[in-house]
Amino acid sequence: MSKTRQAFLFIAVALSALAAGLYFNPATRQPPQGTAVTPAGFMSVSLATPEGGKGSLAAWKGKVMVVNFWATWCAPCRKEIPDFVRMQQRLGAQGLQFVGVAVDELEAVRPFLQTLGVNYPNLVGQLDALELARSLGNEMGALPFTVVVDRSGRVVQTILGATTEARLEAIVSPLL
Amino acid sequence: MIPLKLFAATLAFFLLAALAPAGAAVLPVDQAFRVSGRLGEDGQITVRLRVAPGHYLYQDKLRFSAEPAGVTLGAPRLPPGQEIDDEFFGRVRIYRGEVEARFAVQRLPPGAAGLTLVVRFQGCADAGVCYTPREQRLSLERGRPETAVMRPAPGPVTDALREPALAR
Repeated sequence: MSKTRQAFLFIAVALSALAAGLYFNPATRQPPQGTAVTPAGFMSVSLATPEGGKGSLAAWKGKVMVVNFWATWCAPCRKEIPDFVRMQQRLGAQGLQFVGVAVDELEAVRPFLQTLGVNYPNLVGQLDALELARSLGNEMGALPFTVVVDRSGRVVQTILGATTEARLEAIVSPLL
Repeated sequence: MIPLKLFAATLAFFLLAALAPAGAAVLPVDQAFRVSGRLGEDGQITVRLRVAPGHYLYQDKLRFSAEPAGVTLGAPRLPPGQEIDDEFFGRVRIYRGEVEARFAVQRLPPGAAGLTLVVRFQGCADAGVCYTPREQRLSLERGRPETAVMRPAPGPVTDALREPALAR
């Protein structure tokens, strides 16, 4: 075999191996997202409100919703919340509605929302909130978990792990 | 015939590609954190937590308790871990790799051959997700070298979530 041919073969095999390696590596397939399952009745799941009442996502039906599951003990969740506040301010008038679902204690959530000046509504729960996240495709019960819902109430996209303003805007813009 | 060097290089590429960025993976919680325990004849408990690559546990979220109610545990001796300066939580200690906690059973009810150890923990993946606090129960029997480990509860445990220390 000539040196050139051998080199070509080497590169070809190496590239295929790289592709195969990437394909089989869970890291490149994670975090899972895009599984748009719309579970029946997820909008009407009743959770606590920070004010001490009860509420559900149905209150904002008809808007393009970004439902963000988070917790005060979750650092990656806290990191992305200021982005959401900014987006709510910028795109709220066009029908974008962020809704936080805190998997946390009411007493921890209330002061946190005030400190950060969170300008969108929140619901609070524990196992019930996690069950809602699970029904929307978050099998791992990990946070943050963000769900984009269109005006008709259909789940368009789910994102496990922190997201960015640019990425989220690319998803919600066509829906507004 | 494929030259040996070529074969070796192919294999190396495949393995590197498959393994190198494994740190960014998000594993199911029972694969990310494996808990096992042992109760020695001398009454010493050893709990081993194996943290998968790319994942970590918070030291201050680790809790140990025992059942039945009559069992008293000594203070756990934990390795120092790694101090990190978290953007939100300040200086906190985390564990990667393998963690071993040791403590004594100070009192076991008369006639009891063992106990149920409840291990609570909370951790995250470097990929940018955090797991809800979990609780794992281990049935430990004196003299049995490594007791079978129960699977973590399918969902997080309400008690663990309600613990004030976890809800900072």
